[in-house]
Amino acid sequence: MGYAYFLGCIMNNRYPGIEKATRIMFEKLGVELKDMEGASCCPAPGVFGSFDLTTQQSIAARNITIAEDMGMDVLTECNGCFGSLYETNHLLHEDEEQKEKINKVLAEVGREYKGEVNVRHFAEIIYNDIGLDKLQEAITNPLNLDVAVHYGCHFLKPSAAIGIDDPMKPTILDELVEVTGAKSIDYKDKMMCCGAGGGLRSRDLDVTLDYTKEKLDNMIEAGVDIIVNVCPFCHLQFDVGQKEVNKKYGTDYNIPVFHLAQIYGLAMGLSREDITIDAQQISAEPAMAKLDEMTGGE
Amino acid sequence: MLSGGDKSEDPNKTEEQKQSDTEMKTEEQKTKPTETPKDTSEKPAETKAEKPDEKTKEAKKTEKPVESEKPIEKTTQAKEEKTQTKRSDSMTLLEGRDVDTITRKDITDDFKQAVVDAGAETVGICFQCGTCTGACPSGRRTPYRVRQLVRKSLMGLKDELLADDNIWMCATCYECQERCPREIKIVDIVKIVRNYASQAGYMADNHKATGSFVIKTGHGVPINDATKALRKSVGLTELPPTTHEFPEALKEVQTIMKTTGFDTLIGYNWETGELE
Repeated sequence: MGYAYFLGCIMNNRYPGIEKATRIMFEKLGVELKDMEGASCCPAPGVFGSFDLTTQQSIAARNITIAEDMGMDVLTECNGCFGSLYETNHLLHEDEEQKEKINKVLAEVGREYKGEVNVRHFAEIIYNDIGLDKLQEAITNPLNLDVAVHYGCHFLKPSAAIGIDDPMKPTILDELVEVTGAKSIDYKDKMMCCGAGGGLRSRDLDVTLDYTKEKLDNMIEAGVDIIVNVCPFCHLQFDVGQKEVNKKYGTDYNIPVFHLAQIYGLAMGLSREDITIDAQQISAEPAMAKLDEMTGGE
Repeated sequence: MLSGGDKSEDPNKTEEQKQSDTEMKTEEQKTKPTETPKDTSEKPAETKAEKPDEKTKEAKKTEKPVESEKPIEKTTQAKEEKTQTKRSDSMTLLEGRDVDTITRKDITDDFKQAVVDAGAETVGICFQCGTCTGACPSGRRTPYRVRQLVRKSLMGLKDELLADDNIWMCATCYECQERCPREIKIVDIVKIVRNYASQAGYMADNHKATGSFVIKTGHGVPINDATKALRKSVGLTELPPTTHEFPEALKEVQTIMKTTGFDTLIGYNWETGELE
């Protein structure tokens, strides 16, 4: 079992602890992650999908051809990348005419999209291919944390094309979080968007932060220790955006933000340095202190 | 009843119906003020017994031809002359106002087809129920209305739609699409409309900047010194094994963007590396 590891942008270029935790985790699980050398931005579905779908599909298809050359399914840990790559793969697979059109573009760089591999999300691969049982065996440091699970939008939607889980009442991420010993706490409008997507964050920060504040308010109301997401862009929105919310609204929110891979890292014995949690905008101190309480500061 | 445009309330109406009518009015008034009388008079018919309902249908039929010719004729004519009437010294604020009606000249005939051809075949089956707008988190905090975007696409109100800043308030969260009873690929429609808006030059500087980063580095969010150091500190390669590390891969991405004309679209100057 092995996967073509698609990095994208925000994870590797802003939050490398997510990448580090993922590489170590797959090593421990004995599953190969092979680099997609020369891959680019997915490209960003908000800007590229909105400006020119042909360009978006062409760059996405080029990335997919790298995995096709490797003969492996794509693994991505970002909902945005998943959306951009999955949608393109799905469309070109179904629509012969569009496939021809995109292949004409790819011919300029000596590539051809064949439609031979799947585009898959990290969380779905862990759940379906690795399985909760095997994952549980690898957990050495259970987490006593109350978690606000944030699904994000493009992991499960559009559900008619993706079909991973029920888009209104999913359980996959909650199960994946709770296997670490943490508890998924229900909160109001849990399935709501973080506000970053569709190019909205760079187009209108005020509107974006209004979304984020509503989500944070609902999480705080429910009383959680941390946020867990499966998308570096949502991650950035809750981390950097939380600071921006504090500045704009005069609040003092400080819910630490973790990608699913980062909490797996902690649960498998990685240090807080390894997951680069202390380089983030929002301090993880309260959550780390609660974890230390349980282990007696080990 | 229809021709008179009588606005008096039906006493048989429940409080709830009255309320929903009022809500409807306020929303519609913003965009199509002339349709308001029709709406109020049609509404009660739905709840009445069969006979009046049939009557309404008939009345509607006879009204139809008039409807298609008249209200669609749009002129921003001041109603000044017509309205030198008895009501001018009453309490109304509506006298002498510009009437903003949609006319043929506002409509681009082939726009609906252009949206369909770009991949949104399902746009034509929308019956305007508004479930999408009800589900939209941006609709709760901005003037963005998904239903209107779809309706304007269908009507061919191209110029008005493309110039509207609000079409950029969609976060592509798919809440509308998941709930659409017609299973319309609404987010595809939003993206296609935005594609046409971009072609018409309506692009935000920040978005163009993201596009230029991909042209320059292959990444929408390129690496910086702080992250390089952070990567090194945890034993990762300073540069990720992407276009950052492979210049020939970046060339491929750039060739693709030249081929599709993305560089021209956003006004990227290859010599200066800046946006024009």
